[in-house]
Amino acid sequence: MTFVVTDNCIKCKYMDCVEVCPVDCFYEGENMLVINPDECIDCGVCEPECPAEAIYPDTQPGLESWLKLNAEYAAVWPNITIKRQEPADAKAFDGATGKLEQYFSPNPGQGD
Amino acid sequence: MSSSAAKFKHVSEYGIRQLVDAFYTKVRLDPELAPIFARAIPGDWQPHLTKMYAFWSSVMLTTGRYKGNPVVKHLVVPGIQPHLFERWLALFDETCRELFEDSVSDEFRSKAVRIAESLKLALFYRPDRPWPPESTR
Repeated sequence: MTFVVTDNCIKCKYMDCVEVCPVDCFYEGENMLVINPDECIDCGVCEPECPAEAIYPDTQPGLESWLKLNAEYAAVWPNITIKRQEPADAKAFDGATGKLEQYFSPNPGQGD
Repeated sequence: MSSSAAKFKHVSEYGIRQLVDAFYTKVRLDPELAPIFARAIPGDWQPHLTKMYAFWSSVMLTTGRYKGNPVVKHLVVPGIQPHLFERWLALFDETCRELFEDSVSDEFRSKAVRIAESLKLALFYRPDRPWPPESTR
C-alpha cells in the first residue's frame, strides 16, 4: 500500500511533503511530484502536510490511474528531499480542475 | 516509569525515547523476536535505538528527523517471516499502552499497523502467490 500524488499537485508543487517523508520517496517532475510506491511505507505523514490536499492513500477508490502515473514517473524523475520555493503562480492553480489534461509535463524536475 | 505513574497524554520526543527503550528491552527477551534481532544487530544497540527515536519522531511528530530506507534494511534480515510482524505489533502495542493513554496508543498502533503491512507487502508479496502469505518465503 502506498500514498499517491494526484491532480491538484500539478502546477502547485508546494513540496512540503518532501521535508517530512521519512523514506525520501518523492520524485520531482517539471510541475508536479510523485511518490514511488515501492519505497513508500504508508506512514501517512505527508497527507496532511500537503497545502493543496493532493495526496491520498491508494486504498481510496478511483486512484488506479494516478497510482500508475506515480509509479511510472518515480522511475525516471529525480529524487527530491529538500523543499524549495513553490512556483510563483501556485496559488492561482490551487483547486483548478482537469490539470492533468491541460498542464501535466512528463519532463523531469531539477531534484535536490 | 512505575505502573502507578500517570501515562503520557501526548506524543513527545521524551515519550518516544521511553517507548523505544522499553519496547526493545521486551523484544530482546521475546522468544520469537529476540533471535532475529540478535542476528540483525549483533553489537551495540544504541545506534539502532537512536535511529528508532528519529523514525517514530518523524512518523508521530512529523519532524523529518529520520531519513532512511526501511524496506531495503528489512530485505536483508535473515529469518524474517510474515507472522513475526504480528508478534512485533502485539509487543509494540502492549508497550505503548503501558506508557501512553489509550487515545495516543491508538495513534501509534494505526501507524504501526500500516507501516508493518507495507513492509510485509514489500518483502513478501509475489504476484503469483496468494496474499496474505504462508509463513515461509
